[in-house]
Amino acid sequence: MNPAALLQHPLPTRTTKCTTGCPILDSFLHGGIPCNSITEIVAESGCGKTQISLQLLLSAQLPTSLGGLSASSLYLHSEFPFPFRRLHQLALSNPTLQNPLDNILIHPLHSADHLLDLLSRLDPLLVHPPPQTRLPIKLIVIDSIAALFRSEFDNNPSDLKRRSGLFFKISSKLKAQAMRFGLAAVVTNQVTDSVDSSDGLRIGNSWFLYSSGRRVCAALGLSWANCVNTRLFLSRDEENVKDDDGDIVNTRTRTRRFISVVFAPHLPHSSCEFFIAKEGVLGFDSCNDFHLENREL
Amino acid sequence: MEVSSLPISASHRAKLISAGYISISSLSSISPAHLARDLGISENEATGILKVASQRGGPERTIPSHHSIVDGAQTAWDMLHEEESCRRITTSCADLDDILGGGISCKEVTEIGGVPGIGKTQLGIQLAINVQIPLEYGGLAGKAVYIDTEGSFMVERVQQVAEACIKDMQEYDSFLRKDLPARQVNLQANDFLANIYYFRICSYTEQIAVINYLEKFISEHKDIKVVIVDSITFHFRQDFDDMALRTRLLGGMALKLMKLAKKFTLAVILLNQVTTKYSGGSFQLTLALGDSWSHACTNRIILYWNGNGRYAHIDKSPSIRSASAPYAVTGRGIRNLASNCKRVKLILRARLAHDEHICRSLI
Repeated sequence: MNPAALLQHPLPTRTTKCTTGCPILDSFLHGGIPCNSITEIVAESGCGKTQISLQLLLSAQLPTSLGGLSASSLYLHSEFPFPFRRLHQLALSNPTLQNPLDNILIHPLHSADHLLDLLSRLDPLLVHPPPQTRLPIKLIVIDSIAALFRSEFDNNPSDLKRRSGLFFKISSKLKAQAMRFGLAAVVTNQVTDSVDSSDGLRIGNSWFLYSSGRRVCAALGLSWANCVNTRLFLSRDEENVKDDDGDIVNTRTRTRRFISVVFAPHLPHSSCEFFIAKEGVLGFDSCNDFHLENREL
Repeated sequence: MEVSSLPISASHRAKLISAGYISISSLSSISPAHLARDLGISENEATGILKVASQRGGPERTIPSHHSIVDGAQTAWDMLHEEESCRRITTSCADLDDILGGGISCKEVTEIGGVPGIGKTQLGIQLAINVQIPLEYGGLAGKAVYIDTEGSFMVERVQQVAEACIKDMQEYDSFLRKDLPARQVNLQANDFLANIYYFRICSYTEQIAVINYLEKFISEHKDIKVVIVDSITFHFRQDFDDMALRTRLLGGMALKLMKLAKKFTLAVILLNQVTTKYSGGSFQLTLALGDSWSHACTNRIILYWNGNGRYAHIDKSPSIRSASAPYAVTGRGIRNLASNCKRVKLILRARLAHDEHICRSLI
């Protein structure tokens, strides 16, 4: 191994990014999901993690002129069943793509060791993709990482240490492959309720993350937080909306969804509202208020 | 060499010996006026004695005063002189520079640790840019080596910080030379990028290989003034079956980096992660890699959250006292916390306005 070969000089002028398919979300992310690093999407269930992941599987196939990677994707899922119907619906809303489902490889995950084993055996697939997929693989989505670790580790120091060692092994392997093959890696994570404590640990741009009116924090703890480069947090809130209809005042609840940056080396602390429609996850520009009512799924 | 063998008058010789000047080397750095006062003789006579002493002492010196008996040893006086003339790399945050005694010192290894998102990589990028500031703006005009183990180095962010640095230099220029024609800062963001030697490593073996290779690399690129490793700890937190091996590897790495810092007079900055340690019945935050590693670095700075602000705390340093300072991560890089900055700007503006008023009234 030649250390001089590890030098990248001169540096590239820009990082390749994969578009999310929505210009508002792209501008929130300064271009999209970056390659050569791990982006983590943290959310409680029902916020849209899987929706965004599915959307990325399709937008990665877009040509580079439209912000895509012109590439196939690998989707590793630990939660069953796989949402085929929704993926099909999203693919239909994207008529420019030819046979998009051919360019998506899906593999189930059963445990953390299984994931590590799979990542170690992934190289041949990345070099020579299978014949039906014409495009090289440039996006790996792991949905979700938390599910792999929540059952088989107890809450004692030796198990936690072993779990922590696995985090770094998985992250190291994934980053090494992202670097060698120029992949974008997206990992989804769940949340746990954060018990109110005065000496809480602050990770990122805010002391606490809130979703559905509850205080939450990302699952898997501080060790895993050290393993990802970018962490994005999706949240939802039920908002009371008063409809003034003459004499009658109706109050109903409306779901509002937000995506915010917890930490990222290239993004400032910001958040953006989004909604989930038939065509996918779309960013929401607050000037166009009236669109939201009609478009929520 | 003895004073008694000098060809001077007997009375002078006796006065020299009784005043304590026994060897010729003791006369080598004394002024005639001082000697005259000590011996109670005229200055002309003192000059004469010194001239004889220097003629005698020259060719027969067996141990010249500026060489040392043991190769590489220095007197403490020489070291103090060196340290005072050693330049420091600014962090672009005045408060942080203050507690650091002017900035990150060259010739030493500094460890910076903190939770994810606190700004370690941002500080690393800021230092990689600031080391390149030209001499006329108070910088070191050096180049940087950035060893990235995690993949957090985003080129667009580095370009952003570089552009802000150029703008700052332009402002500094126009402020200092306000009555002279504006001098254009002839630097582009891409020039800054070209001066960063970026290594991307993906395993601990690559990390050790690059650190071993650095000595050769830096001797070929003599203008490198800072080596940043982001982060030193990522690849060592996997399960090592043999923990003793890990300790040996880390120790070897630390030693090499210290040697690099001393030999080439450059700053070595190691970014570290935090972990929780169970001590005294509770979990506490501590820097990763364990107790044996904590002895390896000369200086240690811990970055932490306090309320809604980011703070840097000098945890360990042989020469700087322990202190904390707030800093902010802005679009332009690491800067002073906003409120402090505004205060300084207002004071500057008021002073400028006052000066202008005075000048106008004089015309």
